[in-house]
Amino acid sequence: MTASLPRPIGFWGDAWRRFRRRPLAVAAVAFIGFLAAVAILAPAIAGTKPVLCRYKGRLYAPCLAYFDRRLEPVVFAQDRFRGSYPANLAAKDPESWAIWPLVFQDPFRAVRADEWPGRPANPSRDQGRPSRTNLFGTDQYGVDVFAKMVHGTTVALLVGFVSMGLASVIGITLGALGGYFGGWADSLVSRFTEVVMCIPTLILILALVAIVEKPTIWKTMAIIGATNWTSIARLTRGEFLRLRQSEFVMAARAAGAGPLRIMLRHILPNSLAPVLVPITFGIASAILIESSLSFLGFGPPPPSASWGAVLNDARSNLSMWWLVLFPGMAIFLTVLAYNLVGEALQEVTDPRLRESRK
Amino acid sequence: MKPFLDVRDLTVHFPIRKGVLRRVVGAVRAVDGVSFAISKGETLGLVGESGCGKTTAGRSILRLVEPTGGSVHLDGIDLRSLSGRSLRSMRRRMQIVFQDPYGSLNPRLTVRSLLEEGLVIHRMGDAAARAERMRRALDRTGMPAAALDRYPHEFSGGQRQRIAIARALVLEPEFVVLDEPISALDVSIQAQVINLLADLRRDLGLTYLFISHDLSVVEYLSDRVAVMYLGRIVETATAGQLYATPLHPYTIALFSAVPTVDPAKRRSRIVLPGDVPSPARPPAGCRFHPRCPIAEAACREVDPPEVSLDGHRVHCHVAARELDACGGDERRASARMTSLVAATQNAGREGHRQP
Repeated sequence: MTASLPRPIGFWGDAWRRFRRRPLAVAAVAFIGFLAAVAILAPAIAGTKPVLCRYKGRLYAPCLAYFDRRLEPVVFAQDRFRGSYPANLAAKDPESWAIWPLVFQDPFRAVRADEWPGRPANPSRDQGRPSRTNLFGTDQYGVDVFAKMVHGTTVALLVGFVSMGLASVIGITLGALGGYFGGWADSLVSRFTEVVMCIPTLILILALVAIVEKPTIWKTMAIIGATNWTSIARLTRGEFLRLRQSEFVMAARAAGAGPLRIMLRHILPNSLAPVLVPITFGIASAILIESSLSFLGFGPPPPSASWGAVLNDARSNLSMWWLVLFPGMAIFLTVLAYNLVGEALQEVTDPRLRESRK
Repeated sequence: MKPFLDVRDLTVHFPIRKGVLRRVVGAVRAVDGVSFAISKGETLGLVGESGCGKTTAGRSILRLVEPTGGSVHLDGIDLRSLSGRSLRSMRRRMQIVFQDPYGSLNPRLTVRSLLEEGLVIHRMGDAAARAERMRRALDRTGMPAAALDRYPHEFSGGQRQRIAIARALVLEPEFVVLDEPISALDVSIQAQVINLLADLRRDLGLTYLFISHDLSVVEYLSDRVAVMYLGRIVETATAGQLYATPLHPYTIALFSAVPTVDPAKRRSRIVLPGDVPSPARPPAGCRFHPRCPIAEAACREVDPPEVSLDGHRVHCHVAARELDACGGDERRASARMTSLVAATQNAGREGHRQP
């Protein structure tokens, strides 16, 4: 640094500086980053569709079909590929080339014999123990567990972020209104929060899943989000209640600031740090809830692969230990990572634990 | 001449709620019928011990706390009748500086955002004009323009208070409530800030309501002083009058507590018995009577009316009588009041006297 004065450090800059000093928390963040990378690159890590291929003079990326079926180029359906690329590509266009995923395994179906030149079919039943071709083994139908789990990462992460994003919006809005305006608005919000708190999430979700006609992963996320905002609302309310009496809020009012400006610009940024903690813990619990649902068989139906669904398969095939170990470890590590991040956030943003900045 | 700020019978009662149904069972009478007037360019000091309602009075004048009764006029405008947009536009003309510069500056905003907020709200100029106003306000308070891009926590207490003053000044107000602006500062910094406030008043023609518990500071900065006790003003006078000829026994006791370096001026310390009563249950009659060394039967029943003499106003039965007896001679009346109060201290209370 050549500047005569150090650059001003804001609250979050300072929190990040102290966060960095915790190797475990940094490792947890790195792990979540790794999961995000796996989720985004899933079709390139495990799949049976080329990442990129040249076919009849044009370039295609059939792997995008794993994100959305409609993204699969029509030409392959017209040429009757039937989802099997390696042999068809070579047979129908000798000039063609393709870049394949790292692991040639499909998350939704068993790979057949000689689908990949010289490789046998996926073993099924209890023969599918982990091997060179099936890193994490196969399930009772011969579907590769590694591919299932790589593609299930998306679900695990999305469930956490989408459901807690929804929960944060509901919780922060309600908590802010109750805490800032007080009086009957506060009573209304508090009583409503208490009522929602009394409902056991899992039971409610099971009931709703029974009613909802087509359960999808998005509906599950919406339900988890709509029932898990209570702790966020209560913390936000407390922070708003405390901060609305503070002198800097009074100073803003003296300057002529309206309620919206005071809430968004003055109170919210100051109340966000403690609220972030239940959000991270909530992400962990949302992942657990989704896994439990899938384990119980109420999870999103295929084609959404999920870690909990693999665990569910293990229920009827207890001798297949690999169906328990790998998804179980994945869920455990992810939930642990979020909890570590939450705990670290709690400590680095706690004003009582802040040291001098010198 | 009409006063610039006219406060009449201002009351702020906070309801006390109890039980599940949150029924109102009483009220804390934080401010209970306060009246005073400040003319343009004048500074009124408001003194009293902590909990007497002086801070609440200052805040309720600016409607940062809603008054429950009385009237407040600033430049002829009834502040209590304003709402919404009209109140907001009025806020530009009246600002406040708080006691604690650590609590009054939002820690998440840079000094630029803090200063600019009011300018944006009141649509005072474009970006360039706002920057110029902010630079000028910082300059006036002795802060460098480089402070704009820093956060409050990077400054010392005195510097923060200068920033808080700059925030008030940037809106070019005419009336500023100074709510104990130096009490939270180091003694070495206090004088600087006091001088800064005096300079600003001279240069900008500001009108101050200066709230403090420090009598010596109030004497330095104020033209007139009002003494508050338990939600009421007990005595109002010019600074000179009040310090030379205090009439109310509470004022006399208050002054006896001010340390002095001049041995010749050293007076006997008057110790008031008991504590300040709860403002939720103020005593009947004169509010000061349970602690007053010279309280009489009438004091316990009748609220003393205001007695005024050359702008020296006092609420006290005994003082009123003494003034009468002395034929309106303030100096003699004050001396007699002082000796009356002091006499009670000498009788059997030898231990409380200062050497």
